[in-house]
Amino acid sequence: MSSRHRKWIVGAALVLCAGAAVGADLTGAEAAKARIAHMKALGGAAKALGDQLKSGAPDPAVVKAEAAKIDAAAKALPTWFPAGSGPSSGAKTHALPLIWSDPSGFAAKQRALALAAGKLDAAASAGDMATIGPAMQAVGGACKGCHETYKAKERS
Amino acid sequence: MRDAARTPWVEARVWDLPTRAVHWLIAVLVPFSWWSAHSDHLPWHRLSGYTILGLLIFRLFWGVWGSPTARFSNFLRGPAAVRAYLAGRAGPVIGHNPLGGWSIAAMLAMLAAQLSLGLFSVDEDGLEAGPLARLVSFDTGRAIAKIHHLGFWVLLSLIGLHLAAIAFHALRRRDLVTPMITGRAVVAPGGQPPLFVPRWRVLPAAVAAGAIAWFIAHGLRV
Repeated sequence: MSSRHRKWIVGAALVLCAGAAVGADLTGAEAAKARIAHMKALGGAAKALGDQLKSGAPDPAVVKAEAAKIDAAAKALPTWFPAGSGPSSGAKTHALPLIWSDPSGFAAKQRALALAAGKLDAAASAGDMATIGPAMQAVGGACKGCHETYKAKERS
Repeated sequence: MRDAARTPWVEARVWDLPTRAVHWLIAVLVPFSWWSAHSDHLPWHRLSGYTILGLLIFRLFWGVWGSPTARFSNFLRGPAAVRAYLAGRAGPVIGHNPLGGWSIAAMLAMLAAQLSLGLFSVDEDGLEAGPLARLVSFDTGRAIAKIHHLGFWVLLSLIGLHLAAIAFHALRRRDLVTPMITGRAVVAPGGQPPLFVPRWRVLPAAVAAGAIAWFIAHGLRV
């Protein structure tokens, strides 16, 4: 192979790589930012549901809508942690590298959340206000159960 | 030659019981609040905050309706009085000195700020929240929680100054701790020993403070 041919091949490979990068879903840092936005929305839904339950007269429609949001987020959560979206991406994330070095342990936490969120959604859909409180506590326990191992402690 | 032992220093009642009780309860509950937040015992943290809220409201009442040494009008003095005290030109003081009075005011104000911020704070998961957090968004509640966290260090700094002042006076053989426990201090002659207000005043002040704190703790709902 002549050196001229080699240059062409290298050049073509570089163009292909660049194209692949542009066409890729998200960079690691972008994925981290998207995850933070998802988590904030999840926290917002948890707060909105909590506000309802603490009000003493919860609005079943709001409870149902927020529980559905939590359930959908819990089911989508496994897609929020693509490889390369940890602290090494340069994004300001509290996600610990352990998430990617201990995938089975992390997956177990995700399953626990999905299970709890499913029960919460079922209770809210049925309008069963007596079981929503404990179901919400179980969801909170799943959040904390994962965060204590796989999330860096926030400063506040 | 003057005989120091003959100097007619007198023992006087300086701090009334409500003032001392509020002081020591806050002194215990502030570290407890820090610990309960730090160790994720949020229900205890809230309860501690509500108790401090009640004590603070009571102390504000007592600052206008309590015994002379507890009253703001007696210990919050102008800059001239503070300068005179710092220059050693002030006469004997019973109760807070002109500088110490402002230290108390700063600590009470910072405590009020911390309590107010805590009422609106939300934790990272949206699960734990102050009783007024329903009035703010998740993001606002998180921002307030972060200020609440930073505010603790401001409060701690003020408490540090308070302890440093106590240590400073202790080095000069002036014990400020025992009077805050027993209520009695040996004071220089010439000062007018304060007359305490009648004990029954505690009851309406405590009931009103408790009711207001309860109402706030219940998210302004009965």
